[in-house]
Amino acid sequence: MGRTLSAVTAIIGKDLRLFGRDRFYVLITVLGLGMFGGLFWLLPADVEEDIPIGIHLPGAEALFEAELGARGLDEATQEGLAVDLFASASQLEEAVALGDTLHAGLDFPEGFLEAAAAGQPTTVRVLLAGDAPHALRPALTAAVREIAATLGGDQPPVTLPDLDEMVVGTDRAGDPVSLREQMRPLLVFLVLLMEMFALASLVAVEIAQRTATAVLATPTRVGQLLAAKALLGTALAFGQGLVIAAVTGALAQAPGLVAAALLLGAVLVTGFGLLAGATGQDFVAIVFWSMLLFVPLAIPAFAVLFPGSTALWIQALPSHGFVEVLVGTTIDGEGWAQAWPNLALLAAWGVAAFAAGTAVLAGRIRRA
Amino acid sequence: MATNDVALRADDLRFSYGQRRAVDGVSFAVHRGETLGLLGPNGAGKSTTIKMLIGLLTPDDGSIEVLGMDMASRRTDIQGRVGVVFEEKNLYPNLSGRENLAFFARLFGLRDVDLDGLLARVGLADRGRDRVSGYSKGMRQRLTVARALVNRPDVLFLDEPTDGLDPVSARSIRALIREEAGRGAAVVLTTHDMHEADALSDRVAFINDGRILALDAPEQLKLSHGQPTVRVRRRVNGAVEESVVTVDAGGAEQLSALVGAEGLLTVHTEEATLEDVFVHFAGRGLE
Repeated sequence: MGRTLSAVTAIIGKDLRLFGRDRFYVLITVLGLGMFGGLFWLLPADVEEDIPIGIHLPGAEALFEAELGARGLDEATQEGLAVDLFASASQLEEAVALGDTLHAGLDFPEGFLEAAAAGQPTTVRVLLAGDAPHALRPALTAAVREIAATLGGDQPPVTLPDLDEMVVGTDRAGDPVSLREQMRPLLVFLVLLMEMFALASLVAVEIAQRTATAVLATPTRVGQLLAAKALLGTALAFGQGLVIAAVTGALAQAPGLVAAALLLGAVLVTGFGLLAGATGQDFVAIVFWSMLLFVPLAIPAFAVLFPGSTALWIQALPSHGFVEVLVGTTIDGEGWAQAWPNLALLAAWGVAAFAAGTAVLAGRIRRA
Repeated sequence: MATNDVALRADDLRFSYGQRRAVDGVSFAVHRGETLGLLGPNGAGKSTTIKMLIGLLTPDDGSIEVLGMDMASRRTDIQGRVGVVFEEKNLYPNLSGRENLAFFARLFGLRDVDLDGLLARVGLADRGRDRVSGYSKGMRQRLTVARALVNRPDVLFLDEPTDGLDPVSARSIRALIREEAGRGAAVVLTTHDMHEADALSDRVAFINDGRILALDAPEQLKLSHGQPTVRVRRRVNGAVEESVVTVDAGGAEQLSALVGAEGLLTVHTEEATLEDVFVHFAGRGLE
């Protein structure tokens, strides 16, 4: 036991020294932490909930404000629309084309009010900015029909029942998730993945330069060498994960839970780092193999940016549990009770990746 | 030498890489204080044999005994008393020479090694604190020799120990190998430099196709398998003419005629070299 501890600590000490002396590792680590941490605080913390639309309704501003401003516009605003009135069609067109403040506009023709009141057909132009959300067009079309029907005094052909809304899960009405919060899991996980590259590189260099062979010609066993690499990789990833989590405020809620997720995430990326490092050829090969692992591992973190249900295959990815725990704790305020299934999944993937990484690397070292 | 002086014994070693047999029944023993040269062409099976002897490969068959310990059951104990110089200069370039030695000393569980003394022995006393990345090829080679001595080994394996060294450095390393053998270490030397093998080895084993073809003292091998020659130079019609005659029954008459002829300038006898023996075995092996 004493010999094992001595060998493992000697290898860790040596690797730490090598890590610290490699300008590339140090630069990438510092840059990564600085850039991802800085990026987090540069991202918008608020969400603009209202979509601004412009309306040109010739000769009837007063009526419009009196009739619709009291009901329709308030409702529209509640549904996420901010209405601006324009004096002319050209001003409206210009504002929509500029796209700075307006996403869309409704250009009502001369005599629209009379035509609508008389039930006569008329044409309303819907103006859309290039970056207008796709779903806005049918919403605006429906709004125009409703306005025309209201002005004409028509009642809807059906009576709608009263709705009893029930939000399942966390009700985020009025408290939408900002881009900054959505990006947090991605930024934290990217730091862990960066460590995967660094560990893979350290391991590959040891094989390629055959220093591992020299180490194994001493009383040091393959298991001791692997244990040292694994411990160092996990510690580096976990340490840097903690730093970026602290910088991005992920430790503000349930720090113990986030730290546990980070530790298991570090184990996971270390396993994959050992796997990538086992290729042991050159830097290009390491980058290639690491990228192959990097992309699928990063997908769950990217999926957070696109709200909606997560596809089953994404839920099956090894990093899904990590991202879910981070999202659950930092955005939805979840605790251990809700997080344990994801933690268990992450732990299972971590053990599997670790076992695969050490087994492949052990074989590679023995063949070297 | 007495049987109990045996430091290393390989018995009927066999190893295959897939279908290809790399080592096929190699047996030999090396005594304490003895230097054994292991010679043979590339791919002959030398490196595979060495890897088994230092515990990096497990033989498919056969046994290895080092310092009375069986490799199969006491590999870690054996590796603690063995030093290895690899053909590759497998050092950590971002550590200093001294740090490289200190790291390996710790892997042997040693904390009180005289690292500065070791560096001085290989002529690196004043560069020990510099990073290896700034070392010349020769300096790296000397450091790998120092590393192999960090645990004061009882058995020393040296693979091309003077490769890439200038003549002065090579001479100092050879002196160091003699010193190690002199204090009782068994030395196994692999080299392509036949003069070095001749100068350092007490016995030489020629290996080809995974088998030992000859194992004896260099003198004996040269006598048994080499061909001494006589080089005769004469002046013939104003020009110098050189003839090389082999010393055998057929050559005696030719030699007598040359020496008796007019214009004789010089007569040099030349012993067979290990290189001749190497070519003899490698050529036969490749037939």
